[in-house]
Amino acid sequence: MGEERQVMIETIDLHKYFKDQHVLKGISVKIYKGEVVAIIGPSGAGKSTFLRCINRLEEPSSGKIYIEGVDITSPRVDMNKIRSRIGFVFQSYNLFPHLTAIENIKLAPVHVRKIPEKEAEQKGLELLKKVGLEDKAHAYPDQLSGGQQQRVAIARALAMQPHMIFFDEPTSALDPEMIREVLDVMQNLAAEGMTMIVVSHELGFIREAATRVLVLADGCVIEEGPPRQLFNNPQHPRTKEFLSKIL
Amino acid sequence: MQTNQIRQSFYQRYREKFGHLPWYKRYEFLLPLSFFIILLGIFLPSGRPSHAAGWALIFIFIFIVLLWVIGILTDVEKPRWLRAIAALGLIFVFGFSFYRYSGARWDLFTKTFLNPSMMQGAWSELLLGLEMTLKLALVSMLISTVLGLIIAVLRSFKNPILEFFLIIYIDFFRAIPLIVLLVFVYYALPFLGIALDPYLAAVLAVSLNYSAYVAEVFRSGIESIHRAQVEAARSLGLRPLQAMRLVILPQAVRVVVPPLTGLMVALLKDTALATIIGLPELLYKGIQTMIWKANPTPLVTVALIYILVLLPLTRFSSYLERRSKKWVKSAR
Repeated sequence: MGEERQVMIETIDLHKYFKDQHVLKGISVKIYKGEVVAIIGPSGAGKSTFLRCINRLEEPSSGKIYIEGVDITSPRVDMNKIRSRIGFVFQSYNLFPHLTAIENIKLAPVHVRKIPEKEAEQKGLELLKKVGLEDKAHAYPDQLSGGQQQRVAIARALAMQPHMIFFDEPTSALDPEMIREVLDVMQNLAAEGMTMIVVSHELGFIREAATRVLVLADGCVIEEGPPRQLFNNPQHPRTKEFLSKIL
Repeated sequence: MQTNQIRQSFYQRYREKFGHLPWYKRYEFLLPLSFFIILLGIFLPSGRPSHAAGWALIFIFIFIVLLWVIGILTDVEKPRWLRAIAALGLIFVFGFSFYRYSGARWDLFTKTFLNPSMMQGAWSELLLGLEMTLKLALVSMLISTVLGLIIAVLRSFKNPILEFFLIIYIDFFRAIPLIVLLVFVYYALPFLGIALDPYLAAVLAVSLNYSAYVAEVFRSGIESIHRAQVEAARSLGLRPLQAMRLVILPQAVRVVVPPLTGLMVALLKDTALATIIGLPELLYKGIQTMIWKANPTPLVTVALIYILVLLPLTRFSSYLERRSKKWVKSAR
């Protein structure tokens, strides 16, 4: 345990304004390789914005973001290359409706990584098997249930062999009976040592899989710690209030 | 007091019986009544209603029948066949009464506008014109679609300077009447050192004009695709142009094809304006033969040819629209 842990993501004093709304008020966090960080907090706290800023789907207003040591707020950085190493799973799946599941998965490897079509298809089928959907390879998104779509979306993110994956409320658009199947896939990923940031209120999942929980409120990290400690013994009054509402 | 009560109860009974009906149906009971009165009018000694009251009755009768038929026509709860029959009846009545009572000179009309002997000599000329029209239309369709697509894609990147000039381009060519543009390109451009023959001038003018419309159609198609699709594509590391080509455009095209076919129909019709710069296309040939034969039948033939060519296209466009609606619904 003495070895230095690799820092995957570091944000320093990250601010984000929407017009005159101050959404992120100076967030500084370090996330290490292999960590599963859960972000919780009341709605409007800036959880999603924080996540979207880290891969610059939103432009941060000020502050620094380092991804594997590279400052991605610098204008000279090739964002496409960075993004291709960050998987992103959306709340509303955002599969491409004109492509089948397998085409969704192999699109980026073929056109960004320039992997040959055949090889990408092979890899894609393996990934579909991993998320338990090998028989749905040629189904279009509208032929899949919400849970299945989200699992395809996870496979699509995995196809780029990302170094880390961000989950933006991956289960909150799902029917209750489909949440489990998605969480299982995420839990397996966590067990394989994938670095993950998960915005979610699935406390069961967080308890079992997360190594650390950040509590965001009003654009600030108000508390952080291992899930067991944080859930059982919250320090900040707002954390207590929030947990009492969702527990 | 007593009478008032009776009246009220009568009104209440009336309300109970007819209150739920739309207004035009509450008077259906007048129908057999007026029918009976008209029969009376016909079979009375004079043979036909010759006095004002009789005519008034007939008009009331027709009015009620009309209301009744319209009531059936618009009542979606009636069976389809009944509504179809009502519509047919209405059309028949109007058509027949126009044919019978308008005092039209049908023989003269056919001789002037649909004269088969006048059609005979015109065919070869008109087909030559059709060939030119199709040549002009197809080339312009191709150019304007490609140009419009490029403009729309360029606009989607929201570069302020580029967008400023593109908006000027689009607004200018959408606002200028095609006929003015044609005249300008053919008669004014030579003064700027660009002399084009009528065909090239027409291709240029129609393409410029329609590329602006096509650009707007494509832009609305591109904007109809949810932002989340772009974000998903970009989060995978696709570059903006790749995201456009692989994710946005394939989806936008399905939305865009129906209005685009509509535009292409309009384009084909608008090629007729090239007559003004002396391009020997269909309308030009039609007018020529009309003057030569001193009879408007060739012009009517031209109209029929336009209809014959465009009817499949318009049908095709509505088919695409129905299909795209289904597709768009399933994509949500």
